[in-house]
Amino acid sequence: MKVREIMTKDLTAVEKSIPVRELIFILNTAQMPNVPVVDEDGRLTGFISEKDLIRAALPGYFEMLHSTSFIPDMNQLAKKLAQIADEPIERFVQTTVISVTEEDDDLQAADLIIRKGVKNLPVVGEDGRLVGRVRRIDLLRHFL
Amino acid sequence: MIVTMTLNPAVDKMYWVEALKIRDVTQEEFLTRATRSTTSAGGKGVNTSVFLSRLGMDSVAMGFVGGHTGHVVVRDLRDEGVTTNFVWTHGETRVNVTLLQEGREHSPNLIDESGQTILPEEVDRLMRRYRRMLNRATWVVLGGSLPPGVDPGIYGELARMAKDAGAKVILSAGGEALSRALEACPYIVKPDTREQMTLDGKRLTSVDAIVEAGKHVIACGAEIVIISHDVTGDIAITGDDVWEIRSSTPTSKFKNLVGADDAFLGGVLYKLVQGAPVSEALKFGLAAGLASAESEEKICRDLAVIEEEMRDVTLVQL
Repeated sequence: MKVREIMTKDLTAVEKSIPVRELIFILNTAQMPNVPVVDEDGRLTGFISEKDLIRAALPGYFEMLHSTSFIPDMNQLAKKLAQIADEPIERFVQTTVISVTEEDDDLQAADLIIRKGVKNLPVVGEDGRLVGRVRRIDLLRHFL
Repeated sequence: MIVTMTLNPAVDKMYWVEALKIRDVTQEEFLTRATRSTTSAGGKGVNTSVFLSRLGMDSVAMGFVGGHTGHVVVRDLRDEGVTTNFVWTHGETRVNVTLLQEGREHSPNLIDESGQTILPEEVDRLMRRYRRMLNRATWVVLGGSLPPGVDPGIYGELARMAKDAGAKVILSAGGEALSRALEACPYIVKPDTREQMTLDGKRLTSVDAIVEAGKHVIACGAEIVIISHDVTGDIAITGDDVWEIRSSTPTSKFKNLVGADDAFLGGVLYKLVQGAPVSEALKFGLAAGLASAESEEKICRDLAVIEEEMRDVTLVQL
């Protein structure tokens, strides 16, 4: 079966110029863990997730620590998030995007979702414009 | 691509009752039990998108949604196969209630909420998304009431942007929102006359008044004006023709009038997209509206039923 037959036909996307605060609002209200980033023509240019924002709010040395107990100030995440809240999301966007096309097979989408460990994949049309997304639940619903 | 814009969508909650007991005051009579109920996404553009999807035509539904009821709207549209592109807001999408009494389905009782208040930044967000969509739009349907907080000039602005991008605009609205959008010369204008039989301040009390008001809008730059004359008949005015579209279907056959007007618009659009002449599109539109009114379901999903209904539709030059 083709991706277009199982995908969620939703075009919710953001531009790289919106502030972090607005992105958090969109992710929360739309109940999406991540969102595609598009240009003014609707073409997919990137991807940004809750994980990217948490990573951006953590101190740079965090990955070297074995435990959060080594962090001197536990409010650092909140402080850093407040600092970047009005910054454009551009700096935190993943520009290497994994996507599928409407004509790809369902199995190909399932393979990418499992191997890359992502919750969903943007779906693009022949012209590179966003046409929807395939969520893990779309695949599960479809395969049942 | 067809884009429908519903700035004030709703969750349509419909209740079928044997008898309404609103006027009764005794404790025993206070409760009215519904024999049946349905919940669906609603609003003019939303209903038009659902109609098109049921006939196999793709469209993208846009507008504002918020809160739990916003998710109900989006989920229902996705289940209907409509592509969604809504701006999420701080508020809660409204709920519109329809009470259909057995034997009086042709005269439903409606309770419509005014809708959530939209913030200026939410309007900005919608405009950015809309601009992006216009790059691939061929038709834009603008329809329905405006939620609080939105400037009545917004339909004019949306129509101008669509025309500049090369898309044809269908506008179905009422009051000031309609009057101010006429300057942008939409391709099709269908005044929402449910609350006021007026167009651009002119009262539509007779066939002559309807034709005169329609011609005035055509002179302003619109291509087609469609005005509801009565439940089973509309008047359409173009640059060359004035038609009365009428059906012999008795109103006693109506089971649910909600959404019938939007199915009409969807029917006209469905045929025009396929390259049909305006006269055929108008007949198909009325047939689609009547087929919806005759089904308990809000929007008719059966093309064969609409085509059957078309046999009773006539188009007469006035």
